[in-house]
Amino acid sequence: MSTRRHFMSQSAAAASAMAFPLVGGAQPRTIKVGVLHPVTGALAYSGQQCRVGALMAIEDINKAGGIKSMGGANIEALLGDAQSQPQAGAAEIEKMNEAGVSAVVGAFASAICLATTQAAAKYNLPHVVDVGVADQIMERGLKNTFRFGPGYRKCAEAAVANLHVLNMAAGKPARTVMIVHEESLFGTGTANLLARELPGYGYEVKEVIKHANPTRDFNNIVLRMKAVNPDIVIPANYYNEYALLVRTMQQQKISPKAIYSVLGGAASSYKFVKEFPDAANGIIDCNHWFNPKDKRSAELKKRVEAKGLFFSYEVFMTYTAMRLLADAIERAKSSDRAAIIDALEKSTFADHIMPYGATKFVNGQNTGAQPLMTQVVKNDIKVIIPREYRETDPVFPLRA
Amino acid sequence: MTSGGKELAGIFLFVALVAGIPLATDSGVILNFVMMALYAALLAQAWNILGGFGGQFSFGHALFFGTGAYIQAIAQLQGGLNAWLALFMAVAGSAGVGALVGALSFRYGLKGSYFALVTLAFAEVFRILALSVPFTGAGVGLMLPLHESFANMQFGSRKGYVYLVLAFVAAALLLTWWLKHSRFGAYLQAVRDNEDAARAIGVNPFGVKLGAIVLSGGLMGAGGAFYVQVFQYIDPGIAYGPGTSVEALVAAIVGGMGTLWGPVLGALVLHVLADLTRNLFGQLPGINMVIYGMVLVLIVMFLPRGIAGLGATAKSLWKKSGGRRG
Repeated sequence: MSTRRHFMSQSAAAASAMAFPLVGGAQPRTIKVGVLHPVTGALAYSGQQCRVGALMAIEDINKAGGIKSMGGANIEALLGDAQSQPQAGAAEIEKMNEAGVSAVVGAFASAICLATTQAAAKYNLPHVVDVGVADQIMERGLKNTFRFGPGYRKCAEAAVANLHVLNMAAGKPARTVMIVHEESLFGTGTANLLARELPGYGYEVKEVIKHANPTRDFNNIVLRMKAVNPDIVIPANYYNEYALLVRTMQQQKISPKAIYSVLGGAASSYKFVKEFPDAANGIIDCNHWFNPKDKRSAELKKRVEAKGLFFSYEVFMTYTAMRLLADAIERAKSSDRAAIIDALEKSTFADHIMPYGATKFVNGQNTGAQPLMTQVVKNDIKVIIPREYRETDPVFPLRA
Repeated sequence: MTSGGKELAGIFLFVALVAGIPLATDSGVILNFVMMALYAALLAQAWNILGGFGGQFSFGHALFFGTGAYIQAIAQLQGGLNAWLALFMAVAGSAGVGALVGALSFRYGLKGSYFALVTLAFAEVFRILALSVPFTGAGVGLMLPLHESFANMQFGSRKGYVYLVLAFVAAALLLTWWLKHSRFGAYLQAVRDNEDAARAIGVNPFGVKLGAIVLSGGLMGAGGAFYVQVFQYIDPGIAYGPGTSVEALVAAIVGGMGTLWGPVLGALVLHVLADLTRNLFGQLPGINMVIYGMVLVLIVMFLPRGIAGLGATAKSLWKKSGGRRG
């Protein structure tokens, strides 16, 4: 009896000794990361595209062995829906904080990012902004907030400078500009910057027209465009309105010397190029874009398209934002929030598909972040500026 | 104790219970839930004063919300005023806009769907104005700088905001209680039930309705000011968009129009429902909204007096079935 009891206790001890490493040491830990986007409501399409990008990045990181400095710990996504409203986004941050996430990636729209970054700051929770272009997001001195991509000031300045380069090289055929923008933070902020910058380069801004979201009829705006007859039309709006505006211009046979977009919702969208190839042809855009010379870009595009989705800027921006965060966790060797913030501040992350070079954050903004100039050529989107990423020569002006 | 006394005791008990929540928990999720439910209750109670007690269905209460929000932001950003002083200006300003809209609408005898459409139109006009004039920041909106302190009405924890909005809700409940038991409230309900009959007995419907829209607008303005203090950002879409108007009226209708507790119950139930469906079906975008909508339809269909009238609805159903058997 005593032998049997002894045997059982010995066996149990041996079994637990063998089993324990499996659950305690050898089994990789998981690091929870909040993936917060507006997957329902008015911004649902963009939010869902962002979610796809984040989840693909997590899949790739985990497949490649997870966070190696933490024994191969896997990243686990905690999904959140901001419902296209700032207050819902802030509520999701509260939930993610209590669920013990180490960091958050999101939340696409500028207005939502303003609320979520601030809510996360209360808990010293690192927040990587994936898209949110409003510069105000980065100007509040929040230590937890990092933006990998460029803000709209950078985009507008690059767009105006590049327009001037193109125009001068072509013998200054364009002198007048008309700006058509959507009415919210992104469109108005961009239009204000453009209207301020363009006269300094010698362009006359003949008209700035704003429109509501949604707008389902652009005939009046295009009629006005016909009357104003600008050399260049600059749209700054979301996909649906952009597509409709350009199609209406095509119907009314308005063909300016260039359609030159800044963060154009459809201008550098494969969806638009596929659905409306004639309307899209020749459009120039200054937008978030990947490094076309990096082979991994084409591979990622192929994988996204294999899922039946378009390789839109939301996908690759969020994909890279998640990889930036993973790199910081790797260097922090910890899921501790303060350690991750510290690692993000010191980030030199360069192993990515964006044309930003090595990362350098100043007050949370990646100073190397830049937009690229693209043009729709032969049913494809090609980079035209800057030269080191150029895939084809620019066609400017489209007509003499 | 009289029924009025019991209701008053109920209000104090409610305030005491809710005030205890921040003392009992530090959970950001619970505090955020309580804060947002109270905020929705405030908006619903504001709508209830005009819609429930006055019978004037507004589809554009965001007009007052947005005005309060913008005044709160502009007074601090451009006027350099203290946030607490700005709050008084926000409440007074939105009450003033209420007086203006009320004077124009009631002067020309607009009621029912016409009044609803006019309020909707006013909210839209203000939205377009806010998009166009520079002092609202146009489409870029206005952002309050982050300076957490009691003097700035910015709190480091949700607890401060819970107490702030609880104070607003308590004021709204006391105002509603007063409406139920005062001469003015009786006039207002008389106008709601039959305006011609009320006029015949000497009630001035114009003045009474005007008073109601001023009170309602002022409370809604407090809601707008609160929103700005919590989220520190406002733009024309958030301020004057239809979302806030719908949130205010749906909670009041679901909870029970023209009752003291209906808007609070409605706001609470809708928030619990929204959170439950989101947590249960969060992985499937949109499904939570479908279920939320279905439950809402069922509540409106089977609880015509709202949740607060659940007892009365059950009693009438019981009587009906008893009548058939008899």
